[in-house]
Amino acid sequence: MSQLKIVRIHNELLGTYGDQGNAEVLAFRAKFHGITATIFDVSYNDELPTNGDIYLLGGAEDTAQLLSLEALKRSNNLNTLEMAIERGAVVLAICAGFQIMGRSFWANGVEVEGLGILDVTSKPGSKRIVGDIKTTSTVLGFELTGFENHMGHTTLGPTAEPFGKVLKGTGNGDDKFDGAVSGNIFGSYMHGPILARNPELADLLLTRATGRKYAQITDPLASKYAAWRRKVI
Amino acid sequence: MRLKLSILIAKFAALLSRKILRKSGETIAGWVLLKLSPRAISELSKGRTIICVSGTNGKTSTTKALAKIVSSLGSVTTSISGSNLDRGIAAALMAKSDFAVLEVDELHLANIIEEAKPKIVLLLNLTRDQLHRMHEVKRVADRWALSAKISPKTIFVGDIDDPFVNLVLSSASNSEKISFGGRRHLDAAVCPACGTYLKWVGNNYKCSCGLTNSGANIILQPGTAAYKNAAMANVAGKILGASESEIDERALERSVDKVKNGVKLKLRLTKNPASWSEALNSVSGSSVLLIVNSREVDGIDTSWLWDISFDQLTGKQIVVSGERALDIAYRLHVAGIEAEIATDFEAAISKFPTDSAVHVLAAYTAFYELVNS
Repeated sequence: MSQLKIVRIHNELLGTYGDQGNAEVLAFRAKFHGITATIFDVSYNDELPTNGDIYLLGGAEDTAQLLSLEALKRSNNLNTLEMAIERGAVVLAICAGFQIMGRSFWANGVEVEGLGILDVTSKPGSKRIVGDIKTTSTVLGFELTGFENHMGHTTLGPTAEPFGKVLKGTGNGDDKFDGAVSGNIFGSYMHGPILARNPELADLLLTRATGRKYAQITDPLASKYAAWRRKVI
Repeated sequence: MRLKLSILIAKFAALLSRKILRKSGETIAGWVLLKLSPRAISELSKGRTIICVSGTNGKTSTTKALAKIVSSLGSVTTSISGSNLDRGIAAALMAKSDFAVLEVDELHLANIIEEAKPKIVLLLNLTRDQLHRMHEVKRVADRWALSAKISPKTIFVGDIDDPFVNLVLSSASNSEKISFGGRRHLDAAVCPACGTYLKWVGNNYKCSCGLTNSGANIILQPGTAAYKNAAMANVAGKILGASESEIDERALERSVDKVKNGVKLKLRLTKNPASWSEALNSVSGSSVLLIVNSREVDGIDTSWLWDISFDQLTGKQIVVSGERALDIAYRLHVAGIEAEIATDFEAAISKFPTDSAVHVLAAYTAFYELVNS
């Protein structure tokens, strides 16, 4: 595959915490592998494209999160996303986006049903969780860093695996883990954006999306940046 | 009586702070005063006209401009630059005056309105900033709107091209709604009044719930943020009876010219996506220094750097420094712009030829360090 379609879902709603940069980092890293990536923005009134390779969701305020959920449940969108996952597409969902992918979450004081794609449920905690976070990822075998800023506490069900074990910060809230993984679906509370702070994760998502193993990229600035964040947090 | 004694002790504390710690003493004075007389802001506001200025960007400079406008009407006390929390406000109110023009932090505004009972609240704009502290833009807007609703004697003045400001003005009994012909807003995809997807046509919005920027009572020409803040200060001044005054817009840009080691610097304060975008639009010439820090007032998270378009910088010599130089360097790298990384300010300016004119976009803490150095 030399063409890759990155679908950035509802950036105008899910773009409050800087996560839109994940799409840019993916496209940038893809270039090193000779892949031409296009970023396809889907806004609230649009339908999800069926042929995406990587679908991205970011963090949002409560009302924006509810609008995004409503749009994803509208017309054929949920079916499109499920079919894409079925054929191996990758999903990276951050914070509010992570909660949307789960079975249920709370927004504006009301519990709502999520998309049910990840086996997780979220509830509001007593205190907002804000600060730097570092985890060690069992999936990847290395450390991840980011910044978390959320009220929700997320609990994993039996079919979701934790994404990272928390070394610093809070993550999901009660289980000492951050995020959840199921197949090619990744959920996390890490902003930063997560792929800017952790370029190896971007490479892993590219590998998963294309089914090909790539040679390691040499981008000294990216490595220096990631290593520095891991050292200081 | 107790208040008078508290002020005396607070002034003594300020004196000690100045003499021993060589600090301005304002914050400590306000802190001591509020410890001794928790109702000091309310007490000291009585018998004079209070004007509050708040918003994400432009508070400090607009407060200064408005204080100058109001000074034609009587004696004025005003905030010490950037001292916009309750203790700074208490310190400003220790001086006797006919008017007090106060810069107020977004999260403190509701409390200050309740205590000081201002005649006018001027709201400039509301966009995302320091989300580690503000958490959500909507949360700040809701607090303001509630405060407006329960303050029927206060006149709320502001730019309703910003839907959040419009929500607040629409909740008030008395308001002066200003429009500059519309503008884009990065954080207002959702209607702050009803929570539906906000309908934007170009730079204007019109929600089915009725929230729209076409309902202004004052319509002014479009322009830069500095021009708008100056114009709004004049509207507030006019309500009080002051005549319109010419305002130096450069002073409202938070830009300062300096020369260091032969390099001419144009320093500009940048602290969030809105102020960065505004500042990037003003960059001319080919030499630019970007300084990013992440202390409390800068915002401890730097994710928002990814929400700014840096296209303006393509083809220029870019140097980055500050505590988060690597964050901005990598962000630019991904945008196809390569920057030189400097360990500190001295090293940064040495990368430019002598006699060159350098635009410096600096984080809050870096800006003040440079201005005061």
